[in-house]
Amino acid sequence: MNESKKEKEVQGLDPKLWVDQYGDYLYAFALTRLVDRNAAEDVVQETFVSALHSMKNFRGHSSEKTWLTSILKHKILDHFRKKSREEKHHFETVGGNIRQLFDGKGHWKEGPEKWKTSPKKLFEQKEFLKIFYACLEELSRRVAKAFVLREIDGLSTEEICKVLDISATNCWVMLYRARTLLRQCLEVNWFEESADGVS
Amino acid sequence: MHHWMFNCGEVTRLVSESLDRKLPLHQRMGIRIHLFMCKFCARYSKQLKLLRGVMRLAAEERIVTDFFEPLPSDAKTRIQGVLGREIEDSHPLKS
Repeated sequence: MNESKKEKEVQGLDPKLWVDQYGDYLYAFALTRLVDRNAAEDVVQETFVSALHSMKNFRGHSSEKTWLTSILKHKILDHFRKKSREEKHHFETVGGNIRQLFDGKGHWKEGPEKWKTSPKKLFEQKEFLKIFYACLEELSRRVAKAFVLREIDGLSTEEICKVLDISATNCWVMLYRARTLLRQCLEVNWFEESADGVS
Repeated sequence: MHHWMFNCGEVTRLVSESLDRKLPLHQRMGIRIHLFMCKFCARYSKQLKLLRGVMRLAAEERIVTDFFEPLPSDAKTRIQGVLGREIEDSHPLKS
């Protein structure tokens, strides 16, 4: 490919401006999913470098930002994949906690409180998200990842199985653990603390 | 055998699973009957859906960038440096 054609194809892309223009957004996007700040910085850097080397693949069908975001999504999945191989032999300790919520007959020992709120209302309160992410960090890493992939990115169980290298049944169990323990953690740390949370 | 009579432990597991796949009819019926009679599991079910709603909002850009802090400036400088070196390597200055 000659130089002028190459220049023409990558028109509109200016890597020197990327960090200033998209750094904050991509970092927030990564942080929402990875929670870990260092990991988020790393994937953002990898995204820019990898984008730079694949500029010739940019067809201009989407905006520069959408294109960078799609590269970032792949980097985040790669990160999850790599980590889940390392964590595979780690013992999942959260299963026991769920069983403790029910008595021998499978009835609630202490049933859920009533929450009077809506997603929008919750999201408007920064304190809630802080507590939510603190609760997410309490989960085992793999369980937290399954939850993030399913609930934020809306990946199917099959896709999550591939990324985390687990069976579908295992995936449903992990999601059950994640949801139940998060619910419990939020009830204790948010709804019982905030005055208007519980009726 | 009452296959459709579930206890709270089983119902919570199935309620969660129903968010990930379509359950067989007898399980869906069993859940319904149980939720009708059990306020705790009904709350649990509602709250899982609420959590899903909150998470879907987290996927929205405006809300996310509002909440999270910006990329730290030292990281910006570092990444800018890495990127700068990569740019030079891929387009060496020619006379």
